[in-house]
Amino acid sequence: MTSGRPPTHAPYPYPLSADALREAVAQYGANPVYQDSAEWFNEDNPYRRQMRPQDLGHLDFSRVLPASEILGNSALAAQRLLTSIYEADMMYLPPTGFAEKREDFSAFYNASNRTLGEMIRPALERHAYGFLDDEVHVTGKWTRDSFRSYLEAFAENPPNGDSPSIRAVENSRDPERAARMYLLQFAADFLSEASPMVRNALGNYGNPQSEWFKIIIDEYGYGVHETKHSRLYENTLESVGLRSDVHHYWQFYLSSSLMMNNYFHFLAKNHENFFRHLGALYYTETALIEDCRSQSKMMRKVFGDSADVTYFDEHVHIDTHHSRMAIDKLIWPVIEQCGEGVIPDIVRGFEELQAINVIADRDLVDQIRWMDGEPAGKDLHGPVRAAIDSGTVTAPVTRVVEPRGKLTNTFVHDEDVLCHVVSGTMKVVCGLDSHHILEAGQGMVIPRQRLHGASIESEECVYEINSVGDYRKCLS
Amino acid sequence: MLVVTWETDGIGNCVVLAGKPYVYARTTAGEFVLMARCSHRGGPLHLASFSPGTTRLVCPWHSRATSVTKALRAGIPAVRRGKRVTAVFDVPATEKAEIEYRPLSPDLVC
Ligand SMILES: [Fe+2]
Ligand SMILES: [Fe+2]
Repeated sequence: MTSGRPPTHAPYPYPLSADALREAVAQYGANPVYQDSAEWFNEDNPYRRQMRPQDLGHLDFSRVLPASEILGNSALAAQRLLTSIYEADMMYLPPTGFAEKREDFSAFYNASNRTLGEMIRPALERHAYGFLDDEVHVTGKWTRDSFRSYLEAFAENPPNGDSPSIRAVENSRDPERAARMYLLQFAADFLSEASPMVRNALGNYGNPQSEWFKIIIDEYGYGVHETKHSRLYENTLESVGLRSDVHHYWQFYLSSSLMMNNYFHFLAKNHENFFRHLGALYYTETALIEDCRSQSKMMRKVFGDSADVTYFDEHVHIDTHHSRMAIDKLIWPVIEQCGEGVIPDIVRGFEELQAINVIADRDLVDQIRWMDGEPAGKDLHGPVRAAIDSGTVTAPVTRVVEPRGKLTNTFVHDEDVLCHVVSGTMKVVCGLDSHHILEAGQGMVIPRQRLHGASIESEECVYEINSVGDYRKCLS
Repeated sequence: MLVVTWETDGIGNCVVLAGKPYVYARTTAGEFVLMARCSHRGGPLHLASFSPGTTRLVCPWHSRATSVTKALRAGIPAVRRGKRVTAVFDVPATEKAEIEYRPLSPDLVC
């Protein structure tokens, strides 16, 4: 490998063996605040984060996930765990009813949870972000001049804000529902906005530190709560009928949405990634200007005048400044201070964030389509079941019996499955306000990597899950 | 300086600048932008294999060995994201870059 690459991929010091790691993850997941919920939403309780602890013992977090598995169940589990681990550094209080949540508060912030989290964090980061080492590679001798030319070339063809996921929302069968699903994906990030940045506000690194701090001051609304960016986003959510309590929609975050938010924590929590963080920050503050413009337009188009788009409009303005501050006051002075040797890491962060953006966009487009009935899971039940019955396809089957009210907390399958209801009634949830009711004899295909959950709507329900691999093979 | 973006694989995997072809090499020794013409007699370095156990590419024409250590350590600045590479060439931005195709030896695509 060429020089200048921090060792995400490489083993880190003091790794846990695969078994010790599995045990530590299971122990972490055994915390009461991480257990499955009987409800789809968390009620004004920032400490509750459903981790599906029953899965954790079966997942191998000791390996680096390849790009093809980055939206799989192991990645989702890792991103949920990482969100929780990173956020143990942040302060959360519920607006009301603290006394009843005090036990959860202690369970989330206590030393065991923090220490176990820190033990498993390096492995989880390697598991979830190691693929970037293959996805993005910086090579050659970068100088100030070549870096300047690279940035100028980027500025000549800037991203135009034409995001596939925004288009998917606008073209959805139910644009309002799709837009709500879209907006809640950013809640993990925006409701704690700029928290990762604060991790790099401490210490002593000269003038750039004070410039860094100025951006944070803007993000935090100059100490005026109503202008704090997270507060603006709360207003946005509430204006379209969404809840704004932290992680209310925990079960509806896509893996890639958490991946995007956690990427900044991954960069900022590990200070050896400081220069990558600079690159990613510059990309965010630059490219997202146009994104915010498109987001604001989309909100108006879907919800009309009642939508509060201040959050997005504010970012069109302030990020024009932040973009300039990031390059003129942070990046160039840091290169001046630390030398051209840091440029490859800056380029790396700049490109990695784009790679993650592409993944997140695709994930959200696929989820919105699936919520809209594409592929039409229920229509596929007949042909896929016929293929299994005739023996054309061998599909290992698991039979499950569950009582009324049992709620399968959201997750993803790593391959397409056919869910077939033998008796009773089941509700399969495909996203916020999107579900299918399956009665005895009915079923549906659940595509690989699509977030879903289920609840039992009869006294008892017997159903089968057939792992079919690729459902399209059943159709030929 | 001239910034060019092109594909690492398939049609369009080569940039030709002032008559010189460049490809993106992914090798066991590392990744780098390779000037794909042998400095000896202009042989096709994109078809070269490593002399076993070394970082020297052996030109298929006259077996002349070209070390890639400099390209690895201090080569043309470039970044690959997925299958797209962006490189900054030290020539005037007005220079015209042609995108072409060159077959690559297995040693350059691992
Ligand atoms: Fe902001
Ligand atoms: Fe900003």
